Amino acid sequence: MASVHESLYFNPMMTNGVVHANVFGIKDWVTPYKISVLSLLYEMTTSKIALQEKRRLNKLILPLQQGPDLQLGQFLKTVEDCCPQTAFAVKIRLNEMADGELKDMEFFFTTLPNPTFDSEAYKTSVVGLFIRHMLLAYNKLSFSQVYKLYKSLQHYYHVYDAKPVDGQMGVPTFVADDSDMDLTSTEVTIGDKMERELDSPLYASVELNQISRGPLSQKQAEYFLAKQAYLLKNDDNKALRPAKLQEELNNMLKFNPDFAEAHYLNYLNSMRVQDIYISTHSLLHYFDRLILSGSEGKSNGDEGYGRSLRYAALNLASLHCRFGHYQLADLALQEAIRIAQESNDHVCLQHCLSWLYTLEQMKGSDSSVLTEDSVKMAAHFCLPYLASLGIQSLVQQGAVQGKSAHELMDALKDTDILHWKHSLSELIEISLAQTISIWRMYGKSTMAQQQAQLLLNMSSLEPVNFGVTQNNTEAFAVALCHLAELHAEQGLYGGTTEIFKHLKEQFPPHTQHAKLWMLCDLKIQFEKHMNDGKYHLAQPLVPAIRAQNKTEGLYRKAQVLKSLSRTTEAYRILQKLQVHCEKTRCTETIIRVLLSTAELHWESSDFSTGLPLLLQALTLSRKHHLQALASRTLLHLAFTQLMLGVPEQALSVLHEALEPILAHGGIMDKGRALMLAARCQMALVATRHSLTVAIHTLDEAASYFSTLNCKERLRDVRYLQARLHSSLGQTAQRNRCAMLFHLLDRELQTPRAPTDMRL
Amino acid sequence: MSKEIVTFTFLEFGDLVQIKKQLISVISLCKERGLVHSVKWASELAFALDPLPKDELPPSHLVSEEDVQDLDAFALAKSYFDLKEYDRAAYFLRGCHSKKAYFLYMYSRYLSGEKKKDDETVDSLGPLEKGQVRNEALRELRVELSKKHRAGELDGFTLYLYGVVLRKLDLLKEAVEVFVEATHTLPLHWGSWLELCNLVTNIEMLKSLSLPSCWIKDFFMAHIYTELQMIPGALQKYQSLIEAGFSKSTYIISQIAVAYHNIRDIDQALALFNELREQDPYRIENMDTFSNLLYVKSMKPELSYLAHNLVEIDKYRVETCCVIGNYYSLRSQHEKAALYFQRALKLNPRCLGAWTLMGHEYMEMKNTSAAIQAYRHAIEVNKRDYRAWYGLGQTYEILKMPFYCLYYYRKAHQLRPNDSRMLVALGECYEKLSQQVEAKKCYWRAFSVGDVEKMALLKLAKLQEQLTETDEAAQSYIIYIQEIFSCGEQLEHVEVSTALRYLGQYYFKNKLYDEASLCAQRCCDYNDAREEGKALLRQISQVRDQTETPSGELFVSLSDNNTPIKRVSPLNLSSFTP
Repeated sequence: MASVHESLYFNPMMTNGVVHANVFGIKDWVTPYKISVLSLLYEMTTSKIALQEKRRLNKLILPLQQGPDLQLGQFLKTVEDCCPQTAFAVKIRLNEMADGELKDMEFFFTTLPNPTFDSEAYKTSVVGLFIRHMLLAYNKLSFSQVYKLYKSLQHYYHVYDAKPVDGQMGVPTFVADDSDMDLTSTEVTIGDKMERELDSPLYASVELNQISRGPLSQKQAEYFLAKQAYLLKNDDNKALRPAKLQEELNNMLKFNPDFAEAHYLNYLNSMRVQDIYISTHSLLHYFDRLILSGSEGKSNGDEGYGRSLRYAALNLASLHCRFGHYQLADLALQEAIRIAQESNDHVCLQHCLSWLYTLEQMKGSDSSVLTEDSVKMAAHFCLPYLASLGIQSLVQQGAVQGKSAHELMDALKDTDILHWKHSLSELIEISLAQTISIWRMYGKSTMAQQQAQLLLNMSSLEPVNFGVTQNNTEAFAVALCHLAELHAEQGLYGGTTEIFKHLKEQFPPHTQHAKLWMLCDLKIQFEKHMNDGKYHLAQPLVPAIRAQNKTEGLYRKAQVLKSLSRTTEAYRILQKLQVHCEKTRCTETIIRVLLSTAELHWESSDFSTGLPLLLQALTLSRKHHLQALASRTLLHLAFTQLMLGVPEQALSVLHEALEPILAHGGIMDKGRALMLAARCQMALVATRHSLTVAIHTLDEAASYFSTLNCKERLRDVRYLQARLHSSLGQTAQRNRCAMLFHLLDRELQTPRAPTDMRL
Repeated sequence: MSKEIVTFTFLEFGDLVQIKKQLISVISLCKERGLVHSVKWASELAFALDPLPKDELPPSHLVSEEDVQDLDAFALAKSYFDLKEYDRAAYFLRGCHSKKAYFLYMYSRYLSGEKKKDDETVDSLGPLEKGQVRNEALRELRVELSKKHRAGELDGFTLYLYGVVLRKLDLLKEAVEVFVEATHTLPLHWGSWLELCNLVTNIEMLKSLSLPSCWIKDFFMAHIYTELQMIPGALQKYQSLIEAGFSKSTYIISQIAVAYHNIRDIDQALALFNELREQDPYRIENMDTFSNLLYVKSMKPELSYLAHNLVEIDKYRVETCCVIGNYYSLRSQHEKAALYFQRALKLNPRCLGAWTLMGHEYMEMKNTSAAIQAYRHAIEVNKRDYRAWYGLGQTYEILKMPFYCLYYYRKAHQLRPNDSRMLVALGECYEKLSQQVEAKKCYWRAFSVGDVEKMALLKLAKLQEQLTETDEAAQSYIIYIQEIFSCGEQLEHVEVSTALRYLGQYYFKNKLYDEASLCAQRCCDYNDAREEGKALLRQISQVRDQTETPSGELFVSLSDNNTPIKRVSPLNLSSFTP
């Protein structure tokens, strides 16, 4: 089961899992863009506009007012889409100001509708506040600032004006000629002249450079940061490439080194590329900065300051944890806990506690007591996010330890109620992913599939910001991986390939969750080659699997060795693996190892030695409610009994397993079970009827094997069928089966292993 | 004109007369172009050399046809330039063709942009715009200069200006290339060398540059060695310069003093600064460094005298403010000290030392957040300022975050790998985190690189004592005592007595009674350990009485095979009487 805790890291722009876009204080300054918005408002209040258009404009106001500064061209286009007439009026007004004099701008500000009770722009409405803000800000400007604003307005307008008509480059011979003010000094004309005569390629490149990396205004910077942070959290494919983002941030920091949030984004960004050096540096820098702002702004200065210290240490712990430095993470966490304890910060302590058990879990030790404590305390302090995260972690541990299914499902259901209540969409996804994993573990493929579909088709609760739905979280990766495996089990390799294609797009190899699908992909390929009997193709996959997951790699290695009949080596590995897994309490692998060991014993025709192993596997799997594995164990048991010469017993055992296997099992298991059933029937007293039934069973098995393209087993099936037909005296059918067998035999070119020796 | 100089740049130091001639000519060249700092440097150096006889004086420069044409305009523009009316100067120079006039034209445009930038900063349109104010002229200057550069029309001075423009535009790589070119064309212009100095960040980069071989290169190398903290190399260079005949140069004396300050050779540095003040009593440059030294030595009256003196000379100088800040800090008036450092920063926001010192003051006032702010600013100005990193580490240590401050100490250590203070600080942090192995490594390393405060070994020994590594602890105490006595100074007696006490007990336990009694006797010299020393002596004599005969044999056998050092070292002690 995947570790769901990766997503828990403290993010100052986030509370209870929700990213807030605007954590920065907004300061209003008059910019040319704001003037255009003002003139739009002015036009709206003064001129008559059709109701339909008015409505559309009204809807436009808020985003325009709160969004980042736009280019004039963009702005006018948006307005034009709603009401061309107003857009034209706004343009004329701006043109008047830009081509006119400073006086025109001043005049504009004096004529602005003064929001009063009776006018449309009510004093305390959003629009009224905005206008008043702007007026205040404008009135505060000093003479030189006003002049500067005017210059930038001119520039703003002329950039737009010059663009559509290329030939008019000469037209903006502005100000100098008709201005009666002395402010436009010679320097401007010099600069202007230069601009026109310098059209060398070098100059052009400089110019381009300037445009693309021009400084952002405060609002734009905030918007940029918020957007990128959101994208990093939800779908980092859509965010800027790491290198590009780094460049942008560096640029931003160069112009405003005090913009601390940029450091935090830098930290997140370098985490993306696993750069511990820069990420540590940025994280510490951010908190150094935060400590400053915390102590300045807050009225409870000391409190805010101490708080960021604690979270700084906690974040450092999470950073080290992410990079797998558990010892360092532990030290940092101890520090955070100590400071939090000293200042009685229970919320922070809760965060620390949840990290503590996560850390313990990652180190591989049992942390359920800690987790339970954490859940209780979190519930006490009303921290739903932490509480249900704790419960989820408990469920995960419980599932591994073999708690009963209804307890787990109940717990998950309870947390779900909590999630919906607080709309913690992230946790809902995790919870669904967990349910999928649990169902899969229990071997209920249909349930797992259904839950996976539920998750994938669920529309996220999170508001769709920046055109991105939240769909590359770990939960989605887990669900998709399970889905791929389920498809592979049913032999639907086409579907599997499609899913992996999607996964590769969603989670490119460098991203955090890519490891999940990589391992999954390798496992599926391995299984496929093993089923096809192409051991030489499976073998090179083993080191790759081992790189992702050591235990899994060892197990696969043993399997390959077993298939290549290198029994002794395989046995040694399996023994080692069993000891290891008993230590780490990895039940699923233990059972699989036991089954493989039993199979090894079969190879040496030593069926009775395998029995205690199989019984052990059966108890274990029953105890942990692992139905798929239990059925498979029963299959093994039945086979052993058949070999030991008690086909009646074998058949009764088999009947116990047959139903769940046919209902939930993979296609391979289905085929094997049916073939075994047929063989049991053959071994029993041969009535004519029972033999006919056996033939049909074998037919069914053959259809399963042929979908998997498992030719070896198909060959066995044909052989058995031929014999059955022969004993029934159906020569035509016998000959057909024999021919099919012969064809397969020729194709395979490997000597047929004795049928009775394998399941 | 510059060609004329190039011809006789390849000189040995022996030819001081030639050097003096070159200096005189370059002074007048720079003076015409308004490059005041280079003029100052060259003049200081020229002053240090013997005066030339009348007929040896270099002839005043050849005047070209173009110069004659531009003569009036240039004179007018230069006067405006001197009065800081840069735009006006540029306006009257726009039609001139001589190289001199062209330089002044470009230079005044550059300075005008810089001045406007500073003015703009005051009334910007928003908080974020503050960082965006920039010299608008730079772009145009770059375009023009690069055109001329490609055409090969730039002389040494314009190359220098081009380099400055590039640097301001953050095109550092190109800037380095241009400055190197400028030094080749006009080696005597110190400004280009100085700019190069700021751009070279490590020794590898320095080695990769191809610089003209001229006597001035030695000054450059010495300067850059000081910058890169390669003090021994720098001192050697300066020494050879002094021997070559620049012994009277105040510039060299001050540089050597600064170098000594950097390696914390305080007495040498103080002596040099005192000499410097005698020769140049109204000097303000470098006096902040001097005050740091006085501060470290806690020389209150001297510092107070210096502060008063400097206030009389010019109270609105960064250095003066720093000196006063140090003065108040020494008097434990930290608020006032911080105030003066702030004033220094108002005068020059890029003054690195003031930021760090202000951080220290805030630390003293227990205002940790302000301290962090100050240190962070210092780091922003110069990432390689180890004191700021160290200060940040200390701040977090005070806030009881030993793990958090590890990062900062490590940074500081990276910048000064051979400074024991960072290593000791690192060791202490590791000790607090109960990472004894790392802590031991740090202490041992601190001792190996030359421990300034002589505390590393003691801490190491105590740590080993805690870990019950008795032999190692004893070993460390022995070396510690040797170190303390060999340096001759009487440091804290408490710690010596601790060491002696431990050693006494250790020898006693190992039945080395001679050594034990020696240590016990030494213990009696210290007040706090006297009783224990006596008790130990009594115990020893008791044991000796009981087992008189076998002890000798045991002693011999012990001393023979296993611990020669243990036996030798306490005996060595006797030669140093405490």
